[in-house]
Parts: sequence; C-alpha cells; structure tokens
Amino acid sequence: MHDRQTVSLDSLRARRGDDAAGHVFFLLITAAVGLAFFIVAAVGVDVVVEAWDILANRLWDFLASPSSADEAKSGVSQGIRGSALIAAFVILTFPAGVGAAIYLEEYADDTWLSRLIQVTVRNLAGVPSIVYGLLGVAVFVKGLDGLTGGRSVIAAGLAIAVLVLPVIVITAGEALRAVPTPLREGAYGLGATQWEVIRTQVLPAALPGILTGTVLGVARALGEAAPLLVIGAVGFYTTGNQDFVEQLRGAFTALPMNIANYARLPAETWRGHAAAASFVLLVLVFLINLVAIVVRARISKRLGR
Amino acid sequence: MPTESAGLSAEPPTVSLPSVNSRAVGAVLEPATFLVVAAAVAVAEHFIEGPIGGFGPSAFWVAFWAMAMWSAWHWPAAQTLASSFSGNHLAMLDGRPASPLTLAARELTRAGFLYGLPLLAIEKNIVPVLAMMALSGFVIAKAPGRRAPWDFVVGTVVIEDFGGPAAVIERTEVHSVADLQLNESRNRQNVRARALVLAFGMTSVLVSALIVWSIFSEAWEFFAAQEFSWSSLQGIGWFPRRGIFDVWTLFIGTLWITGIAIALAGPVGLGVAFYLSEYASPRVRRTVKPIIETLASIPSVVLGLFAISFITPQVLQPIDGSIGFASLLAAGLGVGILTVPIIASISEDAMRAVPMELREASYGLGGRRVTTSLRVVFPAALSGISAAFIVGISRAIGETMVVYIAAGGSGGAVLEYDARNEGQTFTAAMASLGAGTDSVAGVGIAFQSLYALGALLFVITLLLNVLSDAIVRRFRQAY
Amino acid sequence: MTMTEFAITAGVKAASGTGANDVFTVDGLNVFYGDHHAVSEVDLAVKEREITAFIGPSGCGKSTVLRCFNRMNDLIDIARVEGTVRYHGVDLYDEAVDPVAVRRRIGMVFQKPNPFPKSIFDNVAYGPRVGGRKGNLDEVVERSLRSAGLWDEVKDRLSESALGMSGGQQQRLCIARAIAVNPDVLLMDEPCSALDPIATGVIEELMKEIQSEYTIIIVTHNMQQAARVSDRTAFFTAEIDERSGQRRGKLVEFEETGTIFSNPGDERTEAYVTGRFG
Repeated sequence: MHDRQTVSLDSLRARRGDDAAGHVFFLLITAAVGLAFFIVAAVGVDVVVEAWDILANRLWDFLASPSSADEAKSGVSQGIRGSALIAAFVILTFPAGVGAAIYLEEYADDTWLSRLIQVTVRNLAGVPSIVYGLLGVAVFVKGLDGLTGGRSVIAAGLAIAVLVLPVIVITAGEALRAVPTPLREGAYGLGATQWEVIRTQVLPAALPGILTGTVLGVARALGEAAPLLVIGAVGFYTTGNQDFVEQLRGAFTALPMNIANYARLPAETWRGHAAAASFVLLVLVFLINLVAIVVRARISKRLGR
Repeated sequence: MPTESAGLSAEPPTVSLPSVNSRAVGAVLEPATFLVVAAAVAVAEHFIEGPIGGFGPSAFWVAFWAMAMWSAWHWPAAQTLASSFSGNHLAMLDGRPASPLTLAARELTRAGFLYGLPLLAIEKNIVPVLAMMALSGFVIAKAPGRRAPWDFVVGTVVIEDFGGPAAVIERTEVHSVADLQLNESRNRQNVRARALVLAFGMTSVLVSALIVWSIFSEAWEFFAAQEFSWSSLQGIGWFPRRGIFDVWTLFIGTLWITGIAIALAGPVGLGVAFYLSEYASPRVRRTVKPIIETLASIPSVVLGLFAISFITPQVLQPIDGSIGFASLLAAGLGVGILTVPIIASISEDAMRAVPMELREASYGLGGRRVTTSLRVVFPAALSGISAAFIVGISRAIGETMVVYIAAGGSGGAVLEYDARNEGQTFTAAMASLGAGTDSVAGVGIAFQSLYALGALLFVITLLLNVLSDAIVRRFRQAY
Repeated sequence: MTMTEFAITAGVKAASGTGANDVFTVDGLNVFYGDHHAVSEVDLAVKEREITAFIGPSGCGKSTVLRCFNRMNDLIDIARVEGTVRYHGVDLYDEAVDPVAVRRRIGMVFQKPNPFPKSIFDNVAYGPRVGGRKGNLDEVVERSLRSAGLWDEVKDRLSESALGMSGGQQQRLCIARAIAVNPDVLLMDEPCSALDPIATGVIEELMKEIQSEYTIIIVTHNMQQAARVSDRTAFFTAEIDERSGQRRGKLVEFEETGTIFSNPGDERTEAYVTGRFG
C-alpha cells in the first residue's frame, strides 16, 4: 500500500536534472538532424567553392565546349547533350510504366501472374544500378547492335529507361491508389466501363502524383553514371562530320560521366572541372524537382484540391 | 420535364468544354506524332545530302516554323486529330467544321516544330533555335482556347467541342438479357485496354528475365572458361586483366564500405527519424523533411567528388595525415551520406505507423518523451526499422560511383584490410572493368568476370530485398 | 431538336411472370462478403414510378441490398450474391448481363456527394459522353439540371468546378448527373445524410417531383424522411448469428408506408418506428 501524500505545488513542478536522459536524447537527435543539414550545405558550398574559377570566368564557354585535353577549353556540352538524350528515352518509357501501374492497381486480381509482376517490379527497384549496365551491354550493345550501333547513347538511354521503369511503376501505383473510392463509384454508377472509369476519372485524378513520379525518375536518370560506365560512355570524343543518326549510334558521354572522369584525373587541377560539372548537374536536378513541385501544385489547383 | 421543352430552343446553346477523354488521347498521340516526324527528319538527314543535311536554322526550317506558328495562331481551338474519332463534334472557333485532314496537317506541323526544332538544337546551332522556340511557346500560350495540364509538357492546344445536332438519349424497354448487354465497341475497348496494360506489366517481367538470363549466361561462361581455375579466385588481390580474381579482396572492400556507411547512416538516420516522428511539430516537419529529402536527390557522382574534395582533406586528413587522396574510409562516408535519407525515411514511416494509443498509454502512465520514444515507439517499430537498415545495406552494397571515384584502385586492387588505404568493392571493380577506352572487351575472361560479379551482386541484393519485404509484410500485419 | 426526342419513348412494360408493374422482383436474396453472411433471404417487389424506402438500424444490410439492384457489389472482389434479382423479369445476375449496361438504366446517388473534379457541365455530360452519345450535349445538360432544380443557380457558371458548390447543390448535381443518361430507376443511398435540414428538404421535394418519371429506391436512416417521401417502406434489421457472432441483415416487413408507420405487422418494426430501438 502506498501512502497518499498531500500534494504540494512544489512536487508537481519540473525540477532541473529530472529529465537528464531526455535532454541527452534530444541533444543527440538534434545533432543528427544538424549533421544532415550540415552535409547538405557542405555539398553545396564545396561544389561552388571548387568550381568558382570556372563559374566566374568561363561559365558559358564551359557549357558550350566539348571535352578536351586542354584545361582552359574543356567543357560539358557533350555531356549535357548525352544526358538530354538519355532523359528523352526515359520519358518514352513513361507510358509503359504508367500502364504497368494501371494493371497492377486497377485490374490485377490476386493471381500468380499479378503477384509475379508485383514481386518483380519491387525487386527491380532494388537491383543496383550497375547491374542495369550489364543488361545494357548484353542486350542493347551486343544483342541489338544493328539498331543501337553498339556502345551508343541509344543503348545507354534504353538501359537507363529500363532502370527508371520500376521507379515510375511504383510511384504511379501509389498515386493511383490514392484516388478516392467515391470518385470511381460515381463513374461506375453512371454506367462507365472499367476502362472508361480509369481513363476519365482515375488517371486525371492521379496525374499530379504520376507526373511527380516521372519527373523524379528523370532526375534520377540524369544523375545515374554507373550503367553508362559499363555500357561505355567515354570521357573525350570527337564527332567530326557525323550526321544526327551517326551521332546517336556513335560514341557518347553524359554529365555524370564528365564528373566522374574529371574527378578521377590524378591532377588536382581538374577538380574544378568536376565541381563545375557537378554544379551544372545539381542545378538541373534542382530545376527538375522544382518543375515537379510546380506542375503538381498547378494540377492540384485545377482539380480543386 | 417534357412540358418545359418549349422554352428551351430559344436560349442559345451553352458552351461546352473539352472532355478529358479527347485531351488524354491527344496527349498519347502527341509523342507518337513526334516520333514519326523525328524519325523522318533523322532519316532524311541520314540519306539526303545538301539543303537538309548541312544547315543551321536555314530558310527551310524558318519557313517550317513560320507555318507552324501560323497554324497555332489561326486554329487555336482545333481539336487534336484523335478527338475527331471520339464522338465529339469538332469545329474551329469561327464555326467552320474541322476535317480530320486539316487537323492532321495542323498537328503534324505543330508537332514538327515543337519536337523537330529541339532535335535540331541538340545537333546544330543552339541559340537562334532556342529563341524561336521561346517565341513559339509564347504564341501558343497566348493563343485562345483552353489548355490541358500537359500542354506545357507536350504542347497540346485544346480545343472546344460544340455545335452539331443535339444528342438524343432515349429510354428503351427491357425484354430479355440481350437488352442488358454492353455495346460491342465499348466492350472491345475495355478488353483491349486491359490487354494493353497487362502487356506493359509483362515488360517488367521480361526485363527481369533478360537481366537474369544475360547476367547468368555470361557468368556461366566465366566459370566454364579454359583460363578459369578455382585457384585464380585467391591471390594477392583483384587483377582481372592479369587473370587474378581474388574475390576475397572485393569482399573485404565491400564489407568496409557497407560497415562505414551504416556506422554513419544508422545513428544519423535513426536520429532524424526520431526527431521527425516524435519531436518535430507539423510545421517544423514540413521544413525539415524536404531538406533531408534533398540529400536523397544528390547524384552519387557528386558525392564521390565531395568525398575526395571535402571529406578527405577537411575531415580525415586532419585526423590522420597518412590518409591519401583515395581511401575506403572516405568512400564509405560518402556512401553513408547517400544511405542517411533511406534509413531516415523508412524508419520514420515505421515509427509513424505506431498507433497513437500506445504513446498515449505511455504518457498516461507518466512516461516522458524519451521513455516513450525508446521504450514504446522503438520496440513497436523495430521490424520496420530493421527493414530500413536492410534496404540501407543493400543500397550501400550496390553503390558504385562514390567508391569508383573515392576509393581508388583502378584496374585492380591489392588485398587490403586497412580502411585508410585504397581498395575496391564488387561494384567499383565492375565499374573499373567497364571504364577505359578498351572497355570491357579486356583480355581473356576479364569481361566474363564482370558478369560473375554482377550475378553475385544481383543475388545478394535480391536476398536482402526479399528479406526486408518479408519483415515489412509481417510488420504490417501487426497493426 | 425538340424535347419530344428526350421524352420517354415508351412505358417500360413488365415481362411475364411478375406483377403487372413490378420493376424489381427479389427472390431469396443472400449476400456474402467473404465468409461473412451479410444479408439473408430477402424477398420483395418494387413497383414502377413509386418511391420505395429502405429503413432500419445501421448494419442491417439495407445499402447492401440496394447495391444489388445495379450490381455495384460486383466491384467488391469478395462479395457474392445468391438468389435472383429480376429487373422487368430479366435476371440481373444472368451470366450474359453486363453490369455496365445495367448501371446505365439504373442510376445511383451516393451517401456523400461525389461530384467529379471537373466543371459542372462536364459532370452532367459525363454519363452521355462515356456512353458514346454523339452530338451536342447542351440540351441534355440543361434539361437534367432543370430536372434537378439546379439550372437557375448554376446556368451562369457551368464551366466552373463542381467542387465549389455547396453540399446540397453538389448532391443535386449528382442527381442531375444520374438523370442525364435517362435511366429507368434511381437508387439513392442515404442521399441526405451529409446535408443540413434545408438542403434535405429541397432534395425530398425534388424526389417527389421526378417520381413521375423514375422509379426511386431510397435508403435512409431517417424515419421521418421515409414517412414523408415514400410510397412503400421496407424495414430491415440485423440479427446476431449464434454461431459466428456476426451481424446478418434481414428484411422484417415490406408494406405501404402508411401501414408501416401507423399499423406495423411486426413488433420489431413497431419498436423501431416508435423509437424504442435502433
């Protein structure tokens, strides 16, 4: 039996040192958040500081020049071009990704087939990116070299597209799942077929989420370098008088490849080039994320939500 | 209501708005049109010398663009070609009927300028083409008519449907089952749509099958090759181009990188998760979370550069001057940064999934926030948190570029147990094999060794993913 | 175009074997959700151009029965329907019957107003459009909005989003949307439960007005509403199954509304309508 004491105001007052463990714990987790913030800031500052020479003196020249052995002339125009083409391939897989998501979320009953697809997609999303490079070499570079021309930007674009596909399927699936049931019921109640319900109600309502997912997929594709390395992106190349088709099927590079190549050059004088290229890549990724946010906000507003 | 009909015809028809159907179809057709035009331009350039082959923004393109501008301005309300088949009555803004032919011509010219010019810009002189595109974008944006959300993505100008005879919707009698059947074309459309998305779903299975097949068939060649002997799997290090495939070297490297990464990302990620889930107010959370997510969107090459240009000189070398330009330690920390947001977000989800009642019960018993976090929320979310760590480990094992840039060891690596020195992981070894001018062609079975490593990596990450999936599924059933 | 073309071309006649003007005849209806036996052994007949009300305590399966009339239960994977539901003598659950075709003739208004996130015009035009109706929908939209008593309120803002309307207006829009495909029957699943009393009154009046055109079945937990609007009332209740302990819906009594409320034949009905339980 406890004795019940008379309660004085003092005994209810918080005392210093009472919650020492709590203070320590709070300090630790705040430190963790602080460290994360510091890293974000440090990456940004470090890139700008290292790149300052180039950004301040020859930014446009850097953007418009091809790679070169001459430090004063070398730039990333070829990388930007390669990355843009790769992004275009990724955008082309958008219908396939959304289609797969529609199947999984809207149609699939719980059969072995749908479960197989589901498990496959989830696992594809977890496969290391460099493995997609191996796929690219085996299938797109060697298997389909008649079409891709071997180690070309076409092969790289296809490999990266395949890499981003599961990301699109998963995010689009989440967006579709978030569409409220009353919306579907309303359309079914008016005698719409399943496909009509999906096309006219579910897809428009899920569009903000789907677009965000796709845009983020493109951002991811822009930063991906490991598969390109295996497929055979090069540091330096010259195009000569190649026409567009020949260029698509010829040697290529991409922005992250530029960074990796500059960064691995033993001479530290090239570090600035790597940082400047990183700066360009970060700005691009940042802009793409911004587009995702704006597009999402615009559409959500249009839908009145 | 039939009695009210007399007054109806006197009133002007209300303007109806474009249906989403036609816009959606248009958005699908748009890239298709683009492909056709782009392919045509590319093929033309490939085979035809002369005016199309070797110009900047020449007279031809300017004329082409002007034509597109004119059509964009003049027929702003024309439907996309597709919608003419969808049952809407189509008309131009001034009421003239729109034939599929005029619509097709309009769409082709517009698609041509919207996509043809960017292609040109990639290849030729960028600046004047960009200026033209900006101007055309402005004209399209200012042209009357409503725009679909994706107009700014694919450039569809929309589109009003009005006019035409009034629709008749009559009620019919029901006599038999036949009266309760779906009209054949809608039924067919429904069935086809299902088949189509199923086919898309099957692509992912196909891709999986291709990965497995391509990797394992080449990996098999490695083990079956003449030059290969089991003794070549041990040695002083990993030198594939010299026929020395000491996997142990790579295993130690991978272990170091993963261990260092988790040592950094585990506590930091968990701390962030605790903060976001248990301590932060919704307002603070809205600011902090995007910043953490920013970490996730930093490309790994940039973190590789960060490792050699910041972590090594600013953090590691002041502590131990013997650390060189490249080290497993720096690379591990770089990979750790990448892993922080993964562990943080999955753990946070797991913690937030813990029911509020559990927390309230703890507070009701006089528990403090720290006790509630550590003694109630943490155990309840433990399975989700372990899944987060497994996914983090899987990601750290699979990370390539940071290690490739910051851990050194191009071409090969000596067996190394000290993380302060250079080393190689499975992934970085693959990257090194792939890089270089002679690429993976290499010598002997070096190329196949790449696939043997890939197979190993694939199996490891697959197992980890399956494991985390199983944990998460059990965890979901708990609540 | 004149309105005569919208007029109902012919009265819907009942096929042989059923009552002269029965729209629905339900025989031995049982509904299961997985292992859960949700509704057992319902028999009733719904008369043409009448308002039939389903009342009863929550969980008594009245909404479940309603959803059998336009096969909305098909959308739930685990739902299973046994027994027969005949619509003008045709078995709705015949294998050859397409639920989509059924729903075009039997419209539905839901518990919470669920306008599509589109313009008011597009909401009403939705049904005709997905039905592949060719031609100008202006008149159809106007007629439907007039029928729902909404035309004067919204005629100047047809292109504005339907989500900007009040709850009562949204529900009337949903009724207009259902009417636009010119259905034979309107199913209403507690259409006023999310509305204030004034909006509820407007909807009740509307139901009386359109009764001459449509057979209406309304599920309500508001007994006064059933007494005010309906011609016939079905009282459902829930029984606890001894073995499984699950609630199972059951039809207790189906009579003219006056009889149900003044002179019920079953004491459970009497207890419910006098407010002693439920």
